[in-house]
Amino acid sequence: MQGESRLYKATEVVPLRVTAHRLGALRFWLVLATIVSYLAMMAFSIYSARHAAQSAVVAAEFSPAMIALASCMAFSVVLTGLFVFVRNEE
Amino acid sequence: MRISRNSMPFLLATASTFGVCGSAYSAESISDIRQAESSTIVFFVVFAVLTLLISFWAARRATSSSEYLTAGSSISSGQNGLAIAGDYMSAGAFLGLSGAIYASGLDGMFLAVSYLASWPIVLFLVAEPLRRLGKYSFADVLTHKLRERPIRILAGVSTIVIVSFYLVAQMVGAGELISLLFGIGYGPAVIVVGLLMIVFSTLGGMRAATWVQIIKAILMIGGSAMIATLVLARFGFNVSDLFKTAVSNHPSGYKIMNIRGFAQDGVATLSLGIGILFGTAGLPHILMRFFTVSDERAARVSVFYATCLIGLFFAMLFVIGYGSIALLRGDPAYANASGALFGGNNLAPIHLASAVGGSILAGFISAVAFATILAVVSGLLIAGASSAANDLVVGLSGRQLDERMLLRISRIAAMALGVLGILLGLACEGQNVAYLLALATAIAASANFPLLLLAIYWDGLTTRGAVVGGTFGLVSSVVLTAMGPTIWSKVLGLGPAIFPYDSPALFTVPLTLFVCWVVSVAKAEPEGDWHMAQPTAAE
Repeated sequence: MQGESRLYKATEVVPLRVTAHRLGALRFWLVLATIVSYLAMMAFSIYSARHAAQSAVVAAEFSPAMIALASCMAFSVVLTGLFVFVRNEE
Repeated sequence: MRISRNSMPFLLATASTFGVCGSAYSAESISDIRQAESSTIVFFVVFAVLTLLISFWAARRATSSSEYLTAGSSISSGQNGLAIAGDYMSAGAFLGLSGAIYASGLDGMFLAVSYLASWPIVLFLVAEPLRRLGKYSFADVLTHKLRERPIRILAGVSTIVIVSFYLVAQMVGAGELISLLFGIGYGPAVIVVGLLMIVFSTLGGMRAATWVQIIKAILMIGGSAMIATLVLARFGFNVSDLFKTAVSNHPSGYKIMNIRGFAQDGVATLSLGIGILFGTAGLPHILMRFFTVSDERAARVSVFYATCLIGLFFAMLFVIGYGSIALLRGDPAYANASGALFGGNNLAPIHLASAVGGSILAGFISAVAFATILAVVSGLLIAGASSAANDLVVGLSGRQLDERMLLRISRIAAMALGVLGILLGLACEGQNVAYLLALATAIAASANFPLLLLAIYWDGLTTRGAVVGGTFGLVSSVVLTAMGPTIWSKVLGLGPAIFPYDSPALFTVPLTLFVCWVVSVAKAEPEGDWHMAQPTAAE
């Protein structure tokens, strides 16, 4: 059948092992920072919900949970920006 | 403590907002089909014609499999960033998230933050290696180190399963949304969307899907910015006044300023969060986007653009959601006495657009929502077609295919998946399909992400370890989701759930990693692995 071929031994065709960049220190710390910040946001949001202040005065401003969510969003953007900046500099 | 039965539909409905607009909210809205505004119909026709023109334009260039499946890797980082953002600015995110905030406050934003936080994971761990080693699917990355045939079959099955679940959910949501927005029946709505999707995907391929995503993303951001600005203008650009009005209008009062459903069971929320955090890095239609750019630099820059745009979009949804509470609740023109919006809570941004910008803005937003559905399902179809041709057919046949054959099979697969989507969409009318999306994300996190991670960063992974671990992740995530409260108790009605959580990712992701590791260290990769050679001109 046109376009088909028999099986070749891999070592005859492509290198068996292709070097994949290992998890560098920067990547490791950034991944860890992402996961920790996300879990911290989650824990704080759940804590805030279970101990919510009922004051009408508080309601006029951003709630602590909102600030936690917004911080996590901003942190995600900053981390991606930092990584891209560092990698592009390299 | 488990999440109560009453809060579960809400949690899953919110969890589904990024893929579908139907789910729990849709059931109450189907019976309330409204008449379409003339402006909605005009914008709809304009968008439908525009997308068809784009698909015909792209079809003239789609003469090779690489052009059809990955736009010839010629998409720029800015364009790809907009397209990725477009994938996330789905109708489900726009309508479902706003509707979720309208219904009960901050839970919707919690999901939004979870999805945004998954992008750094994608960028740090998989974006660059995918671009460096892959061509058409994530299986290309795995097969650089592992035996090709079993890996391609596993990756193909996993991708088709994920895409199918997503597609059915999208079609059901699309049918319900289009029938609501344009005042036509569910069946015709599914068929119209399905036919456009098939024509669009089969002809134009990834280039057409990307350009429609780009245009849609710009329109979506522009429309959302317009609504958010008009809402803030109503409150003198004072956010405190907006919150005060929202809190006073909502029966739950200050509770809408905190998460609610997700605060009831920390383990369930953590499991859902883990699934989202790592699931994005295993979703085929997201990973496909990294093959459309020219190099690793473009891949990572596009993720940065996408993250910024998605963050901006979610910030605007925050204003739109709370603006809906402040301006629509209690207004008899938009909501009934109990606070439920006419047509369902998912129409919160449409009603809000009407309230602050009149019928023209509402019509524009409705048509953008339609374009969004078309763009998302087309991307799904192409991702499924790519894996069907490049992984499943190649893996099952044990033979590489030439460009012409690959292109032909990809187009046939896109058409077949589209027809399947229409038929399943028609068959699933009125069903709560949110669990399909939860399942798809769990599979992506449990089956695809661990394999990608280990294949890229651990030299010890063997073919046997990958196949056993990947199969374990796929089967365990499907089985545990099926035994969870939503499917076991609510859908199947089999009594109390065997597994207490709807998302099993907290357990299946580490277990899959463990199984891959144990099987890999137990027996080394045999020498002389077999890869399938590229066909030559002589053959």
